[in-house]
Amino acid sequence: MINVFFNILIFPGLIFLSIFGLGAEYFDRKLCAKLQNRVGPPWFQPLADFIKLLAKENVIPNQADPTVFTLMPVLAFTATLTAFFYIPLWQTKALSSFNGDLIVVLYLLTIPTLTFFLGGWYARSVFSMIGAARSIIQLFAYEIPLFLAILAPAMMAGTLSLSEMTVFYGSHPWLVLLNLVDFVIALVALLGKLEKTPFDIPEAETEIVAGCLTEYSGRLLAFFRIAIDMEMVVGSSLLAAVFLPFGFNFGFAIGFILYLVKVLFVVALLSLARTIVARLRIDQMINFCWKIVAPAAFLMLVVDLVVKGLISR
Amino acid sequence: MTLMSKIVNWARIKSPWIIHFNTGACNACDIEIIASLTPTYDIERFGILLKGTPRHADVLVCSGPVTRQIKDRLIRIYEQMAEPKFVVAVGTCACSGGVFRKCYNVGGGIDSAIPVSVYIPGCPASPKAIIDGVVKLLTSLEEKEAAAPPKTAEAVEIKG
Repeated sequence: MINVFFNILIFPGLIFLSIFGLGAEYFDRKLCAKLQNRVGPPWFQPLADFIKLLAKENVIPNQADPTVFTLMPVLAFTATLTAFFYIPLWQTKALSSFNGDLIVVLYLLTIPTLTFFLGGWYARSVFSMIGAARSIIQLFAYEIPLFLAILAPAMMAGTLSLSEMTVFYGSHPWLVLLNLVDFVIALVALLGKLEKTPFDIPEAETEIVAGCLTEYSGRLLAFFRIAIDMEMVVGSSLLAAVFLPFGFNFGFAIGFILYLVKVLFVVALLSLARTIVARLRIDQMINFCWKIVAPAAFLMLVVDLVVKGLISR
Repeated sequence: MTLMSKIVNWARIKSPWIIHFNTGACNACDIEIIASLTPTYDIERFGILLKGTPRHADVLVCSGPVTRQIKDRLIRIYEQMAEPKFVVAVGTCACSGGVFRKCYNVGGGIDSAIPVSVYIPGCPASPKAIIDGVVKLLTSLEEKEAAAPPKTAEAVEIKG
């Protein structure tokens, strides 16, 4: 019983995920700064931002719905944390797993976007309502490619459990190469999910102030920010578990370091995309996702089906 | 000063987010403010980020004399910011009204509408002067009890 609470609250649960999320944000910002040829923030920057926001005044606008407005950051936070427990980190077995946990993880990772939508909508400010509408339009663009890109490796492994998938790819390591295109598709979709720069249309600060988060301040904003950081880590862990499934059998110490390296590698790819690509318009983003990314994901699904048929024969 | 307020004060000094508001400037000070945000000067070293919304920001960076039209909007933006909040006046016009002082359409400096923490003179104030002013604001917070904002127009004078 104590073990369960330790796993949920401290390691690898709440405390570890929060610290790792802040660390990943620092890594992202520092790498972005290095790529732009500048010094960048000091190592404690995300922590200082978090503490400062916690200590700031909490403004709830008069026209906003106070219940939904205050509930949404907490919901985003908890949904991301819950998704983390079903992902295999440094061993093939996740903290908790059953056949179908892949679907649960994907849907739990959808909840933060829905909280942005609801939080922005119920703030009833012009900018946050435009941001909310954009974030839900964007959801329909990237969600299908992401699901398809992760479905293809799962279909190859013949299971919907993330833990069993890592076991399968542990015994068939060469099949991972087949999923490289899916890895790129999932990275693009993850950029949309995290609302990072090529797809930061919902919070485009040059057009609509700060999008869904325009009216948020103080503690609520702090929780939204740390939820986004944690979502970055959880999404990267999911991609690492599905597309980089190696090094699970070396024990805790090496496996843990390998896990950190894998997640930071995915985060580095995300910040690289953030640095080299400018923001798209919402219609360009929809066209790109539905005309290029989704057909590519469908094509890879067919390729995987053919290869699976050839192997099993 | 307890440990908790020390930590909070440290976090406030290390993470000032700014919002830039043009109160009627000729655009020269605005360009200098934007220049100080570029990689050449890189004020993200001090944790400074430019935010689009007053709800997220801690420091209101104003440039230009307060015209009669903008005065109500300036006060409204100031009131939309969450406590604790600070105001930096960039440029001679923002400090005193400059050459526009006593014009029929100009009220005066920023401090004729809202309390100001730091005055940065110059026409336009150079990016180095702006960074110097912001750093002086942050060091002045270190000495205060819980980084309380000034109640009146209390000035930290610097040279441009």
